[in-house]
Amino acid sequence: MIGFLTLLQREVVRFLKDAINTIAPPTVSIVLFLLIFGVGLGPRLGDVHGVPYIQFMTPGLLLLAIARNAFLNPAYSLFQSRWFGNIADFLVSPLAVEQIALAILLGGVARGMFVGALVFLACWLLTGVSAAQPVWALGYAVAVAVAFAGLGCIVGLWTRGWEGVGAIDTFVLDPLVMLGGVFYSLEMVRGVPVIEPLTALNPVTYITEGFRSAVLGGAGAPVLIGLLLTLALGAIGVGVVMLLFRVGYHLKA
Amino acid sequence: MRSRWCCGAAEATPASKILGMIPAISIEHLRKAYGDLVAVDDLSVEIERGEFFGLLGPNGAGKTTTINAIVGLVKPTRGRITVLGHDAVRDYRQVHQLIGIAPQETILDGQFLNVREILVYQAGYFGIPPRQARLRADELLERFGLWERRFAKEQELSGGQKRRLVLAKALIHDPEILILDEPTAGADVEMRLHLWEMLRDLHAQGKTILLTTHYLEEAERLCQRVGILHRGRLISLGTPEQLVRERGKAHLEDVFLELIRSERA
Repeated sequence: MIGFLTLLQREVVRFLKDAINTIAPPTVSIVLFLLIFGVGLGPRLGDVHGVPYIQFMTPGLLLLAIARNAFLNPAYSLFQSRWFGNIADFLVSPLAVEQIALAILLGGVARGMFVGALVFLACWLLTGVSAAQPVWALGYAVAVAVAFAGLGCIVGLWTRGWEGVGAIDTFVLDPLVMLGGVFYSLEMVRGVPVIEPLTALNPVTYITEGFRSAVLGGAGAPVLIGLLLTLALGAIGVGVVMLLFRVGYHLKA
Repeated sequence: MRSRWCCGAAEATPASKILGMIPAISIEHLRKAYGDLVAVDDLSVEIERGEFFGLLGPNGAGKTTTINAIVGLVKPTRGRITVLGHDAVRDYRQVHQLIGIAPQETILDGQFLNVREILVYQAGYFGIPPRQARLRADELLERFGLWERRFAKEQELSGGQKRRLVLAKALIHDPEILILDEPTAGADVEMRLHLWEMLRDLHAQGKTILLTTHYLEEAERLCQRVGILHRGRLISLGTPEQLVRERGKAHLEDVFLELIRSERA
C-alpha cells in the first residue's frame, strides 16, 4: 500500500509543482469562457430552460475542466515517463502493474477534481451558482474524471511522440466536449444542420446534460442516463488500461 | 566454430549447482527475438549467491537485453529465469524486491524532484515507510558523497554524481542482488576507481553483483566469473584466471579479442 500511495503522491506532486503549466492555463481559459459567454453575452441570450444563461453554462464548463484535466494528466505523465525512461522506476519495483495503472489513473482524477474545484469556486464567485444535488454532482464529477483519466492512460501508453497527446486533445477531446452541450442543450439546436446530428450522436452530450441536471437540480432521468453512460465508459476505460498494463503494451520490449 | 564452454566443466560450474543451493539468478535457455533480429539466443547461465559476475560482450551482444529480461523490462520469447527460486515472470513482485538495478542510461525522475526526493520516492515504491525512507536516503547520500547536492536537480549534477545517484537508487531497499549495466561507462579514471572501490565494498558486504561491461580490465579486477556474449550467444564462461590460462594469454582482453574474432571468422 505504501508503494501505491507513494506513486499516487508522485502523480499529484507532479502537477502541483508545475501548476503554472498544469493548473493555471485550464483554469484561466475556463474563467475567460465564463466571462465572455456568461457575463458578457449571457444577459442578451436571456433564460435557457428556466435559468439565466450563465448558470446554464456553468455545469458544462465544470465538466469541460474536469474531463480535460483528468485526461491530460495521465496522458502526459505516462508518456513523459516512457520518453525519459523513468517508467522503469515503477516497473522494477515490487508494485503490481495494476497498482501502477491505478495510481497513474487516480493522479488524473485528482487533477480533474482539483481544477474542477477551482473552476467551481470561480463560478460561484461570478454567478452565485451552487450544486442543487451536491452528492449526485460530486459523484458524477468523480465518475467523469475516472472515465477521462482512463482515456488519458490509454493515449499515454499508445502515443509514440509528444504530438500524439496534443492531437487527441485537439482533434478528438475538444470537438467531443465542445459539441457535447457545454454551451448549449440539444433542444437549443433542434433543426440546426450539422450541429444537431453531431450533438445528438455525441455521447458527451448526454453526460453533460446529466451533469447539468445534477448541478442545477433538474429532472432525474437525464442524471441517471448520463451517469450510467459515464460509468459504462469509465468501466471500459479502466478495464482496457488494466489489460494494457498487464500485457506491458509499450512498457516492456 | 562456436564454443559454449571453454573451460573445465568442474571449474566453470558454480558452487551452488554442486552443493544443491538455490542460485541467485538462474537463466535457462533464454531467447529474445525482435522479429528476425535475435538479441539473445539460448542463453543458460547460473549466478550463485554472493558471486561477483560479469557479463561481457561487444555492443549489441545482448547484455542489456539479458538483464532487462531478469527484471521484467523485456519479455522473453522463450526460456525461464528464476531469482532465488522465484520465477521472474510469475513472481515478479518478489523478484523485484530482491534486486536493485542501476541502468546504463542515467535517466532519473528529475523533472520535478531533487536528488533527495528521487531517493525518498524510490524507497516508497519499495514499500519503505516515509520516515525510514528519509533516513535511508540520507544515509546513502552521505555514503555516496551526495549530501551537499541533496537539493540539486538531476540536470545540475555532474556525470559522476549522476552515476553515484543511480547506484544509491539501486541500493535504496538494500537488495540482496545488485545488477549494474555498464556502471562506469563514460566515467573518468578517478571516478572509475572510486566506483570500483564502492562495488568491492558492496560485494564484501555480501551482495551478489551482476555487471555488464565492455571494459575488460574492469571485469578482470572485479569479477569472480565472467560470461562472454557474442550475437546473443554465450561463447565462454569461467573465472578470468581460467580463461587467461587456458587460452595462454596475458590478459582477459586478449582472450576476448581472440574469441570474438574466431566467432566472426
